[in-house]
Amino acid sequence: MEMNNNSIIELKDITKSYDDEYVLNNINLKIKDKEFLTLLGPSGCGKTTTLRIIGGFTYPDHGEVLFKGNNITKLPPYKRNVNTIFQKYALFPFLNVYDNIAFGLRIKKMNEADIKKKVEKMLDMVNLRGFEKRNVTSLSGGQQQRIAIARALVNEPNILLLDEPLGALDLKLRKEMQIELKNIQQQLGITFVYVTHDQEEALTMSDTIVVMKDGVIEQIGTPQDIYNEPVNPFVADFIGESNILPGIYVKDYSVYFAGNTFECVDTGFAKDEEVDIVIRPEDLKLTTPDKGKIKGIVQSVTFKGVHYEIIVIQDNYRWMIHSTMAAQKGTEIGLNLYPDDIHIMKRKVKK
Amino acid sequence: MKRSAFAFPYIIYALIFFLAPVLLIVYYSFTTKTDMGTILSILNFKRFFDPESPQYMIVLLKSFKISLYCTVICLLLGYPMALILSRLNPSVRNILSMLFILPMWMNFLLRTYAWATLLEKNGIINTLLTKIGLPPLEIMYTDTAVVIGLVYNFLPFMILPIYNMLTKIDYSLIEASEDLGASSWKTFWKVTFRLSLPGVTSGINMVFMPAVTTFVVSRILGGNDSILIGDVIEKQFKMVDDWGFGSAMSVIIMLLVLIFMGIFSSIDKQAEEEGEILI
Repeated sequence: MEMNNNSIIELKDITKSYDDEYVLNNINLKIKDKEFLTLLGPSGCGKTTTLRIIGGFTYPDHGEVLFKGNNITKLPPYKRNVNTIFQKYALFPFLNVYDNIAFGLRIKKMNEADIKKKVEKMLDMVNLRGFEKRNVTSLSGGQQQRIAIARALVNEPNILLLDEPLGALDLKLRKEMQIELKNIQQQLGITFVYVTHDQEEALTMSDTIVVMKDGVIEQIGTPQDIYNEPVNPFVADFIGESNILPGIYVKDYSVYFAGNTFECVDTGFAKDEEVDIVIRPEDLKLTTPDKGKIKGIVQSVTFKGVHYEIIVIQDNYRWMIHSTMAAQKGTEIGLNLYPDDIHIMKRKVKK
Repeated sequence: MKRSAFAFPYIIYALIFFLAPVLLIVYYSFTTKTDMGTILSILNFKRFFDPESPQYMIVLLKSFKISLYCTVICLLLGYPMALILSRLNPSVRNILSMLFILPMWMNFLLRTYAWATLLEKNGIINTLLTKIGLPPLEIMYTDTAVVIGLVYNFLPFMILPIYNMLTKIDYSLIEASEDLGASSWKTFWKVTFRLSLPGVTSGINMVFMPAVTTFVVSRILGGNDSILIGDVIEKQFKMVDDWGFGSAMSVIIMLLVLIFMGIFSSIDKQAEEEGEILI
């Protein structure tokens, strides 16, 4: 039997379709033990289906799910050492906080004294000590969320699956919970598989991000990799805002776009190959028109708090710039770039 | 206030159509016709509970027994049906629930007569049984026939409230239970059945109560000794012309049903508070 030294879950050639439409198309993914992995993508990309396949709630049409090298593809959820935080928490409305958390342990027929110890420890961890007798329906969204976390983690799963758990919370609470979840994950040292469509959430919490689109994995990497080296315009655009424009690869370390030839850090494309250029808005530096390699007219300046969002029109391309400096609307302005801020991608043939 | 003004017509309606008849029945139950005209007395109640001639109490007890059988059978048949129905995909589900409701559009009497033709000595069921070489059943004009007729007539009232509760269950709760290690069987008892309990209680209420006071079914399908309390009451009004005694029996049943409901809802509430009721 094949042994994967540190991958706890492996998805092999997973395919799933509903009504002849592929939801997942040949997914291959290795999830390392104790890592925080995020499945990121727009709605309908297959991220939740992937999570449900790991949880055992959906079986794939083809392919295998391996847990520490053992095939668990057809194993029902209750036989997997995996627990899930559901999107709407799915707390049992007829049980109080304590009994909700104790549910899994009682199924395992653990004695009540041990259950009490474990439940109290969990309540301490999620800061809800004293809520034991409360009715779960009387709790706020944030509190219900914590109970759901406690109810799952009290079973000491190898893997915790989280399906957009913070979607229903307000921004401030969401930020707090992001940090708390990350802390819990590191403290307990268990694998988290997290589903979200929020790129910022993914970048904040993850060790590994899997970007998905239309049932296919577009890119797997660390948040830094995904942000700094997106493999294609879709990933670039999905992870943060980007300027994406057509260019021509002149030769190694040299690329032509926006009416100029730029020095870059990329190699390995064919000479004169048509490529896509991706430039992050914060990588464009404002300067005077005579010093800029790109020149344009400032169309709008919007204050965004930390930075200004400046839109500059150059011929028929619309540049988005994030800068701490403001510019004067209607004036001509110059833009400059460092070579390593120019990301070159293979042009995808549009269908 | 404006709001209470809107409620006013409803209050009038309720007074005329709900409260007044009940009060009238209670009033009649204390009246007895004598040679000197109608007098107020408790003779009717004395007559019902007379230990010398307990035939009325025996009929009442029997009515409770038969409607209890009917309720239990309806629950045992209705729950699995509602469960299967709720798990089907919506298009099939709608057709099937339509089939369950369809007989209810027919007249109650017609439906019961239909059972008579099925159960008769030379009826459809017995003809089929003899054709395949089995002995014919002799259930027409017995209590069994009455129970069958009652179950048939009241089954939809058990299925529908349970089915309604089951379709309302958030499926993620079932998944959460399985996620936490409960097998399908345990999940059924700990989550699905638990969440459907309000449907079960209202199903029981909707079957048991009317089954106690039903009449006609026993007259069509039952034998001479299958008479139920509903028939006795009807006879008082329509044949004997003793409204007083008929009303007294109605009042007694009403009180018994109220007591029954009280016990039932307190058990239900207790179960709600304890959370875990089974396993």
